[in-house]
Amino acid sequence: MITEILETLFLILTALMAAYLIRHYIFTLTVLKGTPKSSKAVAIGNTTYLPTVSILVPARNEEKVVGRILQRMTELTYPKDKMQIIVIDDASTDNTGEIAEQYSSMYDHIKVVHRDEKEGGKGKTSALNAGFKHAKGEIIFCFDADYYPQRDILEKLAKEFADPKVGVVQGRITVLNEPQNVVTRLVALERIGGYRIDQQARDSLGLITQFGGTVGGVRRSLLKRLGGWDESILAEDTDLTFRVYLAGYKVRYVNDAESYEEAVESWRAYWKQRYRWAKGHMQCAFKHWFKVLRSNNLGLKEKIDGLLLLNVYFMPVFVLLSWIVGVPLFFLRPLPWFGLFWAFAPISLYSFVGNFAPFFEVGIGAYLDGRTRAQWLIPLLIFTFLYNIPICTKALTDLLLSKIKRKNSNHWTKTAHSGNGNAYIAI
Amino acid sequence: MFPNPTPTTFIMLILGVSTFIFIMLLPALLELKRPKDAGPRMIADDANFTQPKIRNMPIVNVEEEQGFDQILIKRIADVIAVLPNLEV
Repeated sequence: MITEILETLFLILTALMAAYLIRHYIFTLTVLKGTPKSSKAVAIGNTTYLPTVSILVPARNEEKVVGRILQRMTELTYPKDKMQIIVIDDASTDNTGEIAEQYSSMYDHIKVVHRDEKEGGKGKTSALNAGFKHAKGEIIFCFDADYYPQRDILEKLAKEFADPKVGVVQGRITVLNEPQNVVTRLVALERIGGYRIDQQARDSLGLITQFGGTVGGVRRSLLKRLGGWDESILAEDTDLTFRVYLAGYKVRYVNDAESYEEAVESWRAYWKQRYRWAKGHMQCAFKHWFKVLRSNNLGLKEKIDGLLLLNVYFMPVFVLLSWIVGVPLFFLRPLPWFGLFWAFAPISLYSFVGNFAPFFEVGIGAYLDGRTRAQWLIPLLIFTFLYNIPICTKALTDLLLSKIKRKNSNHWTKTAHSGNGNAYIAI
Repeated sequence: MFPNPTPTTFIMLILGVSTFIFIMLLPALLELKRPKDAGPRMIADDANFTQPKIRNMPIVNVEEEQGFDQILIKRIADVIAVLPNLEV
């Protein structure tokens, strides 16, 4: 009896892993074959559309990097009379506010919103909502303080808003401090798989393209209608993505609109960042799962992809569960070859495929970027995958405990930036 | 899996798994030891981005786009047509 229950559970888990495997194969093949976008999107994308824009730069203790992004903001090629830059100094205790004020005094289109300890320090979403109150542009762009975009990135992103059905546009993120150490190199590989293949494929196939919370913009009227950012969710980007789709709008991805980011530099910082992402994403899953299923604004393929996207951070937990189930099955089954199958199936089906950016997806992304040598590091992604198992398991446990205790433990852990990426800008 | 396991079996198994892991990670270790990748990826500005797009824009009928009164425009055109030619 126990064997049958374990077998059933194992089969369900294996089927889930297989679903992700197929999904990622489709994504990779789509980008590899270069599926063209719809003719309508191409026609709209070819026109010049320069709406007024407001750029929100939330910054809490970012003195090492905030000057870099503000300098870059002054170099953007977008018409200055159509651009407003709002730095939200979110109760910083370092010189972030002073540096931002210096730029504000030199450039009329840069404004600084200072928040004290009483109203600030509650996380990025709270800071974004504070900045949004001062924003006047038709499109609200977000850039994190450690980012460094192309000079013409706003033109590339804004033109997509010519299509009235587009609610959000997302650009590509590339790691700036990649050569720093093994962690930054692996994060860079994850980004290649995640953006060059995953986001591009979802956009090309008309699935759920994801807003990354930075290097992207949202239509002001839509954001106002949605009530701004939800401050109770740790993954405000995923939450906004689904609210936009559920409202009947689309998210577009523009691969050639790129920005550098400063990646986390240690395993500890990686843990903190991914823990927040995992917990926030799981919150979104609980919040939007049934809404996605019932939505009249989403087609069947969007619903399937939406559900898979919402559940993606549960997968490392399921892998752990499949191993726990697989070991007793290995001993309970009479036939040795069958036991071997049960023990290794989840590994071959999922560990080998990964969860967020599978090995072959990263490999093809690096190949398309002309980074064949970077592919040599791909086997090391097994360690980030294994690392994500305790991260996601802890995130799920904490989330469930907070739900049982009815206590909100959604503390925003800020990612610290060292400014080491500045060295690469000089090149 | 192993009907009659002996110490040699286990040693062979450990050696086999270790060799497999080593071979799998060897390229990564080589790249970490002496990086030859040209990263970070250079993101380039497309300086000529705006200009060609403007040139490619279709010429639109401004009168029609802005909703001018076509009858009024025709009347003004008729008046202009009967005016004497002021050019020398």
